[in-house]
Amino acid sequence: MKKVLTGLQEAAGFVDDGALITFGGATFQRAPMEFVRELVRQGKKELNLIDREPAMDFDLLIGAGCVAKVRAGMLAFEVFGMAPNFRKKSEKGEIITKEGACQPIIAGFRAAAMGLPSIPIKGMLGSDLLTISEVVGSQKEVKDPFTGETMIAVRAIEPDVAIIHAQKADEYGNVRIEGPLYEDVIKAKAAKKVVVTVEELISNSEIRKMPEATTIPHFIVDAVVETPKGAYPCSCFNYYDADYDHIKEYLRAAAKDQFDEYLDQYVYMGMGRRVST
Amino acid sequence: MTAKIETPDLMVYAMAAEIENFNTVLHGVSSPLPVLAMSVARKTHAPDMVYISGAEGVDPELDRIYPSSFDARLNRNAVAYFGLHEAFDLAQRGELDVMFLGAAQVDRRGNTNLSVIGDIDRPKVQLPGGAASAFLMPITPKVVIWVTRHTNRVFVEEVDFVTGQGYDHRLEAYQKNEIVIVSNLGVMNFKNPDRVMQIQYYHPGHSVDEIKEKTGFDILVAPDAAETPAPGQEVIQLINQIDPDGVRSSEFR
Repeated sequence: MKKVLTGLQEAAGFVDDGALITFGGATFQRAPMEFVRELVRQGKKELNLIDREPAMDFDLLIGAGCVAKVRAGMLAFEVFGMAPNFRKKSEKGEIITKEGACQPIIAGFRAAAMGLPSIPIKGMLGSDLLTISEVVGSQKEVKDPFTGETMIAVRAIEPDVAIIHAQKADEYGNVRIEGPLYEDVIKAKAAKKVVVTVEELISNSEIRKMPEATTIPHFIVDAVVETPKGAYPCSCFNYYDADYDHIKEYLRAAAKDQFDEYLDQYVYMGMGRRVST
Repeated sequence: MTAKIETPDLMVYAMAAEIENFNTVLHGVSSPLPVLAMSVARKTHAPDMVYISGAEGVDPELDRIYPSSFDARLNRNAVAYFGLHEAFDLAQRGELDVMFLGAAQVDRRGNTNLSVIGDIDRPKVQLPGGAASAFLMPITPKVVIWVTRHTNRVFVEEVDFVTGQGYDHRLEAYQKNEIVIVSNLGVMNFKNPDRVMQIQYYHPGHSVDEIKEKTGFDILVAPDAAETPAPGQEVIQLINQIDPDGVRSSEFR
């Protein structure tokens, strides 16, 4: 086992400009927000984001000008409504939105995790989303060779980097996710590189007491960063709930054209953009 | 004279009525009304339903709802976690009985749009995206669409973009499922030979004529159309208890 413990700035170095990346969690739950803020501070460019139901993680990067392309099943702020930066930049043509659907995105991750070029799914037929997916080459109608049943082949999705915020890990990258897993384990297996930020570092001997609690083993993890409150203002199960008041403040700032002020206060923290190293 | 029943509560009760006992039911993201409907159904006529939360808990003892339908507190005292990819496996096996989905536009054939108004490459209005709609609508035996603003801009002759599939798509095998629309004015279904939208129920305080007027196409009226059954006090108390902050009203603003 190799120690993979590192700092946040170094870990963000796994993400190159233009990279295809995905995040753990779903909407306001266990998104790796501190890592996202570090990507903004480092001024990453032209990122290509994919996930089934992201929220503030994607919208913050879009608003900070780090994103070229988005593919999501749904990108919104739950009952608070639309993702403001996503909507604005998509309507202005400043980002390319290729809408996906939850199952084809999840299935694409599963195919990559299984080392397959594609995987068949049901549904989708008759939706205009299938038509546009056939044009971009992410889905295709096929026949099952045994039964002749019509299915949809979904092309594997292999992100350059998957970034997951978890509760605990050791310095080797044995990761414990507590509570709902979402597609985090699948994404970790699908991605070329995996960065895990954690609330708490625990010892390897602690890990060995309960191997069944290890949801992602060390050999598929490339970096671990101790990042308390790393999902804030999203939730981290067993540690803290989502701060819905902060999320509303974000939305107010975006609505009043004060998003730069939001970035100054909560992302740059008055220190401005860091020069990328 | 009884007190006026709030529209979200009427909708929750109408949505709960679509769940039968022993059904396996899933809710998705941004779904306070479905979460409440599932909770009401389980506490009333469907005690043995299988409740799969979008937050991943199975049969949780829900005591409250939150602005996020994935909030992990929705899993309180669950018996297990069952991830979305597992719920989707279930759907492909034909074992997910009921799913609740939203819509920004819905048309007379039951097609829904959650994607865009205007050109897909340069949208006039970028909508949030269809989430599971395109996958689940054709393969789930019953799909309940909830719409909080019944107007002729939402209920249109033909949607701008087909995100979720209604009854005019190609495969006959995929037209066996049942689509029900619950709006702030009434309950609509497609139980007629042509599989076009018809009014089944109008909510108390509303009428068939009002629904017709606020629908952007010639909507049929079921021969047995009637007023929507209103929830009793126990149901309203249960809804208030689970949602003291009125999260369910957020979609109506």
